[in-house]
Amino acid sequence: MNKTIPFWNPYRETLPSEQLLQLQLKKFKRIVRWAYDHSRFHRRLYEEAGIVPEEIRTLDDVRRVPKVEKSMMRTIQLKDPFPYGDALCVPLDEVTEFRQTSGTTGQPVYQPDTWQDWEWWSECWATLLWAQGYRPHDRVFIPFGYNVFVAFWAGHYACEKIGCETVPGGVLDTQARILKIQELKATAMMATPTYVLGMADTAKKKLSIDPASDLTIRRITCAGEPGALIPATKKRMEEAWGAKVFDHSGATEIGAWGFECEAQPGALHVNEAMFLTEVEDMDTGQPVTEPGKRGKLVITALDRKAQPCIRFDSKDIVEISSETCECGRSYRLFPGGVVGRADDITKIKGVLFAPSSVEDVVRSIQGLSDEYELIVDKKGDVDHLLLRVETAPGAPSEPKEIEQQLRTTLRLKTNLQYDIEFHDYGSLPRYEVKAKRFKDLRKKGGE
Amino acid sequence: MRPEVYVREISPQVEQMLKLATSLYESSEDFPAVNRNLKRILASIEMLKLNLEEATD
Repeated sequence: MNKTIPFWNPYRETLPSEQLLQLQLKKFKRIVRWAYDHSRFHRRLYEEAGIVPEEIRTLDDVRRVPKVEKSMMRTIQLKDPFPYGDALCVPLDEVTEFRQTSGTTGQPVYQPDTWQDWEWWSECWATLLWAQGYRPHDRVFIPFGYNVFVAFWAGHYACEKIGCETVPGGVLDTQARILKIQELKATAMMATPTYVLGMADTAKKKLSIDPASDLTIRRITCAGEPGALIPATKKRMEEAWGAKVFDHSGATEIGAWGFECEAQPGALHVNEAMFLTEVEDMDTGQPVTEPGKRGKLVITALDRKAQPCIRFDSKDIVEISSETCECGRSYRLFPGGVVGRADDITKIKGVLFAPSSVEDVVRSIQGLSDEYELIVDKKGDVDHLLLRVETAPGAPSEPKEIEQQLRTTLRLKTNLQYDIEFHDYGSLPRYEVKAKRFKDLRKKGGE
Repeated sequence: MRPEVYVREISPQVEQMLKLATSLYESSEDFPAVNRNLKRILASIEMLKLNLEEATD
């Protein structure tokens, strides 16, 4: 096999845009027809909206198809057949995989998949891993305890599909994982940005191992959090490990829809042969098409069949671009990847605020550790922001210069003022997955 | 060979694989070791078909 081919699927990844749109329309019509014919939920939804599948003739007709939200799935799953409800499109005997969402935003949603769907999941991941340079000679270490959540399962199977040697680093603790990486001379790994930084920290502090010089990891694929496309976080990870760090984006109900390629354009490619993405204005719901504008991502998995994902309101915020990538893929780009969550973007003192902007500032400042905590609350009627940061080991104990730099950069980047607390290194919480560093105490249950 | 030419060339052979695997699968109800492995093979063939699918029929 020719390992120098840059594309997993040289045909689809270089299709001219016009043909790609035709392929998406063909597939969209097919998945809507499938859902209408096989799921009581979808038939009811479409009938209530006054649309039948044969009325979808152009991509403009896509917007006539009702959107689905996670909250709807929770209601559906109270119905038969247990435990998935009537969005299920196959007999229960055909379901071979159970996963569930993390429950970060409420009651978890169950995700059934057939083996066919699982082939599709691993194909999504094989596309992205190949684009990031994974090849059969790689030995990939996955430092994650696989469980009922979908995280890294499909990555594992995709590594096998590519032909990589795949090492499950499940129940080992962080130190044991680092030593196993060293022992096996693993060349690549997958983890959340938080854990990538946490592992590097543990390696240095507890094992006197410098990952950049003492380990052989040369590419890292991140998932679960947006940090791999936040420039300061990416820089810290790449320097700590001496590796190229890549982002990818996906969700349990959707699939792995976006990926950064080896050219690292500071953007995610959308896997457009497998997903149809629409971007809509957060207030009006109208399509956003102008480059540089941001909106909410509505997404369709074009080939997933047990529990179809059709016009799913992902709540992810993305930015439109008309740029093309030097890698040669015709797939569209979202600069900065997922730049926020519709349920995280909030107004503070009347200013639209994305918590990820604070991460970029904190991690761009030398003398601060990777950890921070941001709390918004009310003082009287006024919003109040408290930023807790840690000094890095060896930084001055009275970090006046760091504090001044932090205040100035935060004001420039976010137009807001903060109370800042400095804490000793190691005193703020550490996370392995889905870090919760932003707490909005103005909302009920914001903690 | 250009990818689109290659796709057109091998697609009929993938269809032949599908026919053969479907036929074996349908005849294997009383032989789980054949039936369940063919089920997986059929999923792989379906993925091959999706990978080679063209924009127009």
